[in-house]
Amino acid sequence: MRAKLTGPQRRLLGWLCSVLLIAAWAAIPLLAGRSTVDLFVFAALYAIAGLGVAFLLGQCGIVSLAQNVFFGIGAYSTAYGATALGWPAPASMITGMAISGCIAAVVGTPVLKLSGYFLALATLALAIIGHVLFLEWEWLTGGTLGIGGVPPLSLFGYPFNTPLRFYYLVWPIVLIVILIHRNVLDSRTGIAMRAMRDAPSAAAVLGVNIARLKEKVFISSAILGSFAGSLFAHYVSFVSVDSFGVDRSINFLLIAVLGGARTIAGPILGALFVTALPNLLSRLGDIHAMLFAAFLIAAVIFLPGGLGGAIGRFWETFAGPSRSAQSLTARRGS
Amino acid sequence: MTALLQVKDIAHHFEGLHVLKGVSFAVAERSVTGLIGPNGAGKSTLFNIISGFLRPTSGQVLYLGKTITNLSIQRRSYAGLVRTFQTPQVFSELTVRENLIAGCYKQGHTGFVKSLLSLPEVRTEFAEAARLADQTCIEFGLDAVRDQIAGRLPTGQQRLVELARAAIGKPRLLCLDEPSSGLGSEEVAHLMDILRQLNNAGITILLVSHDMELMAVSTIIHVLCFGEIIATGGMFEVRAEPRVREAYLGV
Amino acid sequence: MTITLLLQSILAGLTNGFVYGLIGLGIAIVFRGARIINAMQGDFALLGSVVAYVSLTRFHLPMLPAFLVGVIAGGVLGFLVERFLIRPTEERAGTEDSYLLVTLGGAFAASAAVLLYFGRDSYVLSGVGGDSSINVFDAAIRVHAVWLIIISSLVVTGLKLFYSYTRLGQAMLAASIDVNGSLTIGINVPLMRTLTFVAGGLMGGLAGVLVAPLINIHYEMGLLLTLKGFAAAILGGLTSPLGAVFGGVTLGLVESLAVVAVSSGYKDVIAMAILILIMIVMPQGLLGRRGRRGG
Repeated sequence: MRAKLTGPQRRLLGWLCSVLLIAAWAAIPLLAGRSTVDLFVFAALYAIAGLGVAFLLGQCGIVSLAQNVFFGIGAYSTAYGATALGWPAPASMITGMAISGCIAAVVGTPVLKLSGYFLALATLALAIIGHVLFLEWEWLTGGTLGIGGVPPLSLFGYPFNTPLRFYYLVWPIVLIVILIHRNVLDSRTGIAMRAMRDAPSAAAVLGVNIARLKEKVFISSAILGSFAGSLFAHYVSFVSVDSFGVDRSINFLLIAVLGGARTIAGPILGALFVTALPNLLSRLGDIHAMLFAAFLIAAVIFLPGGLGGAIGRFWETFAGPSRSAQSLTARRGS
Repeated sequence: MTALLQVKDIAHHFEGLHVLKGVSFAVAERSVTGLIGPNGAGKSTLFNIISGFLRPTSGQVLYLGKTITNLSIQRRSYAGLVRTFQTPQVFSELTVRENLIAGCYKQGHTGFVKSLLSLPEVRTEFAEAARLADQTCIEFGLDAVRDQIAGRLPTGQQRLVELARAAIGKPRLLCLDEPSSGLGSEEVAHLMDILRQLNNAGITILLVSHDMELMAVSTIIHVLCFGEIIATGGMFEVRAEPRVREAYLGV
Repeated sequence: MTITLLLQSILAGLTNGFVYGLIGLGIAIVFRGARIINAMQGDFALLGSVVAYVSLTRFHLPMLPAFLVGVIAGGVLGFLVERFLIRPTEERAGTEDSYLLVTLGGAFAASAAVLLYFGRDSYVLSGVGGDSSINVFDAAIRVHAVWLIIISSLVVTGLKLFYSYTRLGQAMLAASIDVNGSLTIGINVPLMRTLTFVAGGLMGGLAGVLVAPLINIHYEMGLLLTLKGFAAAILGGLTSPLGAVFGGVTLGLVESLAVVAVSSGYKDVIAMAILILIMIVMPQGLLGRRGRRGG
């Protein structure tokens, strides 16, 4: 079916879909059980960190496997700040984000000069370093025992201590992150980033400072990961080193690749998938790890644009191509 | 006329091979200077040195009287020195329009943080660049493909996009690397027209090629052979030189 | 720090170093032959050792045949990877990123498969000479470790001869350097590529079978081995099997000696930091060889 709609018709359809989606989102907790809501909360938390990885991959072409480190820094900052230091939640959270940003800046400067495989494997090395340090620095992280008793997040005295409340908190945050991402695209910086991704030499010739731009994106990605980690700590209230290993980074990467690193909202689908699957297959033991790997491979080979890209293509065949880069379904290259 | 670019005694060798052996020449402002030579003459190396992609083993590059031999590619760009590539390096996943908007990068000011917040000045600046891009599309005859993904265009049009993108930033010195390779004779003629127009508008052009036909557009030609300049002059002078004919036999 | 301790560290470092070198060798072979960095190399080792373990314990094969089966399993895996991961990616015009993600995916799949089959426990494979060791001035080195070093050295020498002096070896090199030229002179380029991966797989399997008795088989060991092997390969110039072994030994020794100063928990941190340092400071390796992209 190749029905092409006019501009106003497409906008109307777009609005309609958005409204339906929001209505469905709002209704889920009312219709589904607590464990489903719990699942959706985790999906949102992972989506925030995954969006950071996707941003780096989709806009700069950088595969980062180090997001677990920043996720962990955020989580431990919040946990340590709350339990050992007695700091208010925002202070711990911001400290975590600052630490992550600084580490990203310091480590990023030399490492981002590498390209391709070297860079990706360097980030993997960083992931391992981070994981071991989380394990060894027991005075900070509690090592294998972890840190428990992290208080729930409260805003103005209102505690977000149930899955339901957290659900209605995190998902708007996800939306804000997506909107910010969208803002960047149709801007001087956004164009420069994509130019840098497609043809770095040509971008340099136009005056783009490649090294600096990569660092900025890396730092943003790290800060986002840290932010997600802090929220995570508030939600689970007990953080242990098992949550911050290399497999966590692999999950984030999968979210980015499967969801579609170059789409704006694709990673959300990736996050939902990555969170739901282990749950659905929990009866079969640890098989989800195998399936994740299989899906990663399949996505790279058969679905280069990820799920988001596929949906975007479907939308375009139905509604015609989008002119604006800001359209959520715009396919910018497969 | 003053020399916009000066190349002084540039020598370059790597892996034991002397690619350039003391090359000196000047590019006068508002000229169309051609650098021609058979394959293997060292044109690409010299070109990369001039545009900042390579540091020479010895010698200097001067731009507006100042030494730029070790200046970064970006700083050269801000000074007005822009280049194109032998294989057209369009931003393959962006539309033609977006490619040209990218060409306006230097004229903009808004940075990363402001873009995240989507301040009004970001949007105004972008709209301004978009307007300029649309106008340039028309000038270069790219209006029909303006919203197409640049990576899917045929080579000839990709070259045009690359050229338009380089020109939109109002460079002072436009360096073109084998701009006619892969083009049919009609496209080459069209290219020569555009180059003349750009030159008339005040842009100095440095043209590197092994294509003798394209060189007709130059006001002065330097012939490079085995790392040395063996002839300088107008089109006919240079063609008549015995050393040049010798170099080109069999090419 | 006593001499004995120092000597012990050196012996341990030497042993580990040869293991890293073997992994690095596999990476170098694949890179040399296909211009692809195989993120699965350590997992070839893992799976080789798992197959050997299963052959020994489940099927009660004697030690040598079981080891051989493990090595061959590595080769088979190499073949499968080329056929089902690399080739489809190539056919769909893969970018450098795609190959990376695909082999990473393969690495995770291998690790997950072992997790599924074995769970999170570690398994011990018995080695040559059982648990006995040789004493070198009061420091001990396991008999199996000595065999490891000897076999590794032989393999490396053999490879050097293979690539330099046999038609097949030279054909494999030619196919990677110049595809069109090779095709013109009748070299079956796709086959050469497959053989390259098989060779890499065999090396990986060999590494796994040799190292498993000294460390424990654990589902997460693949990736770490890959990274350390990668460091070894880079030190050696990325295209030289011999260089990779030198690089591996260097890495093993530095790691071992550094651990004497710091707690052993930081062993991997040190190795990873060395890897990053190498990539930044000397991506061409210790010998400064060319022929490498990236970095």
